[in-house]
Amino acid sequence: MRSVATLLIALFLLLLQSTVLEFAPVHMVTPALGLIVVLHLGLSEKWTASSAALVAFATGYLFDLVSGAPRGVHAFVFVLMSLFARAVAARLAVRGLVFKAATSFMASLVAAVLVVVIRAQVSHEGGYGGLRQAPFEALLTGLFGPPVLWLLARVDGRLDPARLRVGLARRKPRTLGGLPPR
Amino acid sequence: MNTLRQKIREALIVAGTILVALLVLRQSSRNPGEVSTLDRGILTVITPAQSLLSSVARGIGGFAGRYMDLVHVRAENESLRSDNSRLRAELFEAKRAAAESLRYQRMLGLRDAVSAETLVARVVAIDASPYFRVARVQLDRGEGMVKRGMPVLTPEGVVGRVNRVAGDSSDILLSVDPRSAIDVIIPRTGGRGILKGKPGENGYRAAVEYLMHGEQAKQGDVVVTTGLGGFPRDVPVGKVSRVVKSPAGLYQEVEVTPDVDFARLSEVLVVVAPAPTPDPEVGKKALAPSRGLAVYK
Repeated sequence: MRSVATLLIALFLLLLQSTVLEFAPVHMVTPALGLIVVLHLGLSEKWTASSAALVAFATGYLFDLVSGAPRGVHAFVFVLMSLFARAVAARLAVRGLVFKAATSFMASLVAAVLVVVIRAQVSHEGGYGGLRQAPFEALLTGLFGPPVLWLLARVDGRLDPARLRVGLARRKPRTLGGLPPR
Repeated sequence: MNTLRQKIREALIVAGTILVALLVLRQSSRNPGEVSTLDRGILTVITPAQSLLSSVARGIGGFAGRYMDLVHVRAENESLRSDNSRLRAELFEAKRAAAESLRYQRMLGLRDAVSAETLVARVVAIDASPYFRVARVQLDRGEGMVKRGMPVLTPEGVVGRVNRVAGDSSDILLSVDPRSAIDVIIPRTGGRGILKGKPGENGYRAAVEYLMHGEQAKQGDVVVTTGLGGFPRDVPVGKVSRVVKSPAGLYQEVEVTPDVDFARLSEVLVVVAPAPTPDPEVGKKALAPSRGLAVYK
């Protein structure tokens, strides 16, 4: 349930990313919203490494289809990025606006390098060019990182399987006779 | 024991996912245009959603523009605000309609000018990733007629080629993508070369490769298609924006700025069948005595 909801959010964000150019003041570069979803999967302790990797793969595959990139490029990069985020979460407590923005910024840079390297391996014509855009993309991703991570954390909280099992995921607690709980 | 088993299971799933991703990547690099049934199914769901979001985005963009106009008018003259805003909104709508009509007229003009068989497609998404210059288009009709490698044009010039087809939607590899290769000519010098996208550039740029040194190109030179590779002849591609002079080597380094504004693409023409080759018998038939319209030709 939580995986499906996360995937649906990821798909919506990817579609937004592919059509957001209409608004973007900086043409050619859009925030890597799909990557932020993957970042959340890796950073959140509620996700196991395997389920994070599987959802990251699906998100990357969807992004390959949405962006017209060779299939598997983002699928592979996103799986690696989920592991990268996991490694970061094991060493640092990524909390607070600035830290989340910085992590999104760094993740975007790392992902850009990985995408360019893999693109060069898949189609040799592309070479290693395109990295000049990476800082701009990372900047936008850093900007969008904290709100998207906050949104995903909220969704995770609502759909946490452990909380759902004990009925804690409800919006309002049940009350007796309309009285507020003490 | 249980934890160890769980850890091994986790590691196996992660490794399996990486392996599957690598296999997909390998398969895709071997057959770039291949679209599986799963992909087709996903794209069938995604494309209408993309189209809807794109329309909403354009609508909001127009609304924001009108709102800015309103704010300006309010500041200028409070009493005439409502009248002015209504007229402005109407004018905006009329301008938008006129621009749209002009765009369609130009598209139809191009369609008439290109003797090849073409289909009109609407752009629903472009450049989702800055590392792959790809646009997604949706056809209103003619599903099944579009194939990989077909040229795509606008009244301004060459857009690119069809790279992937799934139902009524297709991915267009823009002429500024490094994977694209289009045979071009500089009419002023007669120099021919291959137009390829330039990686590592922030703008939409391309370069003409394999252009011989003898035919010296200069800034502002027009670049058009040669008619090879399915593209109609003499379709504008762009203008030479920079010539790198290096005495060494056989070829010149020429940078081209495309005539098409890729960031503002909304409709394109897909050339589904090349122009028919001229019939050598036509001249003879015209000379022979005949009846009807042919007499007046």
